[in-house]
Amino acid sequence: MLELLERIPFPQQLDRIVIFTGLVAGALVTPIAIVLLALLIFDEITAAEVVFWLAAAVIILGALGAVLLPNIVHATLSLVIALLGVAGIFLLLGSEFLALVQVLIYGGGVTVLLLFGLMLTNAGDDPKVTDGAQKPFAFLVGILLAGVVGVALVDQDWAKTEVAVAPFTTLGERLFRDFGAPFEIASLVLIVALIGAVAVARRDRDEDDDTVEEGESS
Amino acid sequence: MSDIPIENFLVLSAVLFGIGFYGVLARRSAILILVSVELMLAATTINMVAFAAYFDHEAFTGVIFAIFIITVAAAEVGLALGIVLRIFRERRTAYVDDASELKW
Repeated sequence: MLELLERIPFPQQLDRIVIFTGLVAGALVTPIAIVLLALLIFDEITAAEVVFWLAAAVIILGALGAVLLPNIVHATLSLVIALLGVAGIFLLLGSEFLALVQVLIYGGGVTVLLLFGLMLTNAGDDPKVTDGAQKPFAFLVGILLAGVVGVALVDQDWAKTEVAVAPFTTLGERLFRDFGAPFEIASLVLIVALIGAVAVARRDRDEDDDTVEEGESS
Repeated sequence: MSDIPIENFLVLSAVLFGIGFYGVLARRSAILILVSVELMLAATTINMVAFAAYFDHEAFTGVIFAIFIITVAAAEVGLALGIVLRIFRERRTAYVDDASELKW
């Protein structure tokens, strides 16, 4: 138990990570924010556009950090930044409920789950990870995918419509009346997945004996 | 509510999906592959919510689908981390390259 506690990167190490990450993120985002504010003051863009570009910068930088950083803990914390930016985008799209859910589930649950996964695997001893040899190929595929889909989306003539705010009552009606059966199935999926996770990850008492026997017989 | 064209949101989600796809292909650590999958799921969620907010003003079906995506993503992370922990306990590694018995 003590050994486990020592492997939690807390408080000194985590403090340093959080402060360092905050400084880097601030240094990257501040110039963008200043440019956007200048454009806003000179009436080039609207306030909503400022929020959009700021959230987009946070998302892209956070996502790049999550896939490029060699330190596994930094990459996971970078994912949190990107997902909080996604919550901002949801607010801009008029879905307060989804923004709340995003912050609660990703900012809280999934992050803690991932950090626990890091702690229980060997991230404490060796946080640096190496990427596969297929990296250049993966880079090419990623660029091509984003490029092709992006060009296809821009090329399309979208109808000029406004964002509509999704009211909570409409969402609740849709979710529980029209999507009642999928809702129940989703709850079933959740419980099965969680029980399955416990069953898979549980440490069996006689597991060690089994491995010893197998080793002897072979 | 705002005068941002829908292309902005769609291109943002496409770029995010590309970054996540790169991560899934390039990373070796199973947990970082999970992180990249989360990015891809976030990209699809942005896409669906954007279409719902712009083109589906009565029903908001895309928002409902986004709720289901988030639910299934949470279940997926839990189950996948259980499997990663199991693999790590069996062979002291969290790299997907080292668990390639089923590779043909």
